[in-house]
Amino acid sequence: MAMIEVQHLTKRYRDRVAIDDLTFSVEEGEILGFLGPNGAGKSTTMKILTGFLPPSEGVARVGGFDVFTHPLEVKRRIGYLPETPPLYPDMTVHGYLKFVAALKRLPSRELKAEVERVASLTGVTHVLGRLIQNLSKGYKQRVGIAQALLGSPQVLILDEPTEGLDPAQRAEVRALIKGLAGKHTVILSTHILPEVTMTCEKVLILNQGRIVAYDDLRKLAGSQGTSESASLEEVFIKLTAA
Amino acid sequence: MRIALAIARKELSLFFTTPWAYGVFTAMVALSSFFFVNLLATFQQVQEQAREVTWPMMPPDMSAYRNLTDGVMVQLWGMVIVVTLFVAPFLSMRLFAEEKRNKTFELLMTAPVRPIEIVLGKYLGGLGIISATLGLTLVFPLVLSAFGHADSGTALEWSTVLLGYGGVLLWGATCMAVGMFISALTESQMLAAFLTFAVLLPWMMLSGVAQATEEPLRSVLTYLSFDAQLQNLLKGILDVQTLVFFASVIVFSLLLTHRTVEARRWA
Repeated sequence: MAMIEVQHLTKRYRDRVAIDDLTFSVEEGEILGFLGPNGAGKSTTMKILTGFLPPSEGVARVGGFDVFTHPLEVKRRIGYLPETPPLYPDMTVHGYLKFVAALKRLPSRELKAEVERVASLTGVTHVLGRLIQNLSKGYKQRVGIAQALLGSPQVLILDEPTEGLDPAQRAEVRALIKGLAGKHTVILSTHILPEVTMTCEKVLILNQGRIVAYDDLRKLAGSQGTSESASLEEVFIKLTAA
Repeated sequence: MRIALAIARKELSLFFTTPWAYGVFTAMVALSSFFFVNLLATFQQVQEQAREVTWPMMPPDMSAYRNLTDGVMVQLWGMVIVVTLFVAPFLSMRLFAEEKRNKTFELLMTAPVRPIEIVLGKYLGGLGIISATLGLTLVFPLVLSAFGHADSGTALEWSTVLLGYGGVLLWGATCMAVGMFISALTESQMLAAFLTFAVLLPWMMLSGVAQATEEPLRSVLTYLSFDAQLQNLLKGILDVQTLVFFASVIVFSLLLTHRTVEARRWA
């Protein structure tokens, strides 16, 4: 059974259609790359999957539970990094991670070890005592990722996880995400194309709320009328030019 | 419940780590002290006058000034109520509006937390904040009991003073509940504070409006006004009707807040 199942998902804001009839699924342990120009509906789709926004039409299921009718079951299975990392500037990194762990109902005995685990995974161990507002953008982003990893949820939904990081940090985060494959099901959005080639097995390209391509990364180049050797970048530009 | 407590603890620790808290504390104490000193001066004046002409010769409405409890504390609680009306909106405005502006609301709403736990957690945090702020005013009865004298017994009648303080706390809790609901409606903290004030002030003054109306509207308005409801409690008279009234306003505000948070799922 697919871990994430989306059928005919549509979201309208009054008369503006943000996403239009999306259907796709992600198997357990798979990493799906979400691509698309700004405003294509990537974040909206992610917000619906995490239960933050209700869909106008269609169904989304995570681990077999409907996002709309069983929100708690779904939320328990998801670690989510929104577009803007949801941080409290006046809290220390440690205090913040402890608070999120409590929100995720982690037993208090395991709380300390779990905070240390995600902190070392994301490389924020040495800033645990600092106030979040004094951190650089890259560290803030990493604390955001650490928060999503707390409690090792089955599904990770990461909205532009490498945003604001320098090239070295980006490579680290990519390696981190790649290491999550198999254990976690991951949806990852980005508009940095090499990111996808390096981390994802499958790609979904959105443009103006519709799916314009949804395939294995290797097959994608050949199938879109571009030459076999076309890079993802060429495919992306061709598909989203309309 | 554990989640609600975690949220309340977060609210409190954030409140005490920001300079905001100490600004509010200073304002609360400074304003209350101002009224306290004024009340003391009036009290002293009346007492001196009474010593010259003896109490039976004084106008009957001055009889409250025969002791510190009625002459100073009961009136001070009345003033603290007014100060709270100005201060509470600035404490409640952050509760939800800040989370929305910071985008941390998304964290709360995508964590496996029920809306009721968020609302209760926030409200408990709010109660802690207002209690800490109002707790500072207990310094005034302590000063009176340490330095005041009475012809018979202790300087202060503590049961009256504490019941009045209970009224002050109840009023603070009500302000926070109404303020929290309004804060849940908007992203802007300033707007939340302003609207809370705009709701609480006329509600407080409803008894004045009632004077200008006919029965039965007058009784209804008087019953609904915060001012009239609080009068007895501040004087140290426990009235079940008052407790029921404020509890209803609080519970109703919490329900509305819960609806507002829950409604996001259908937005």
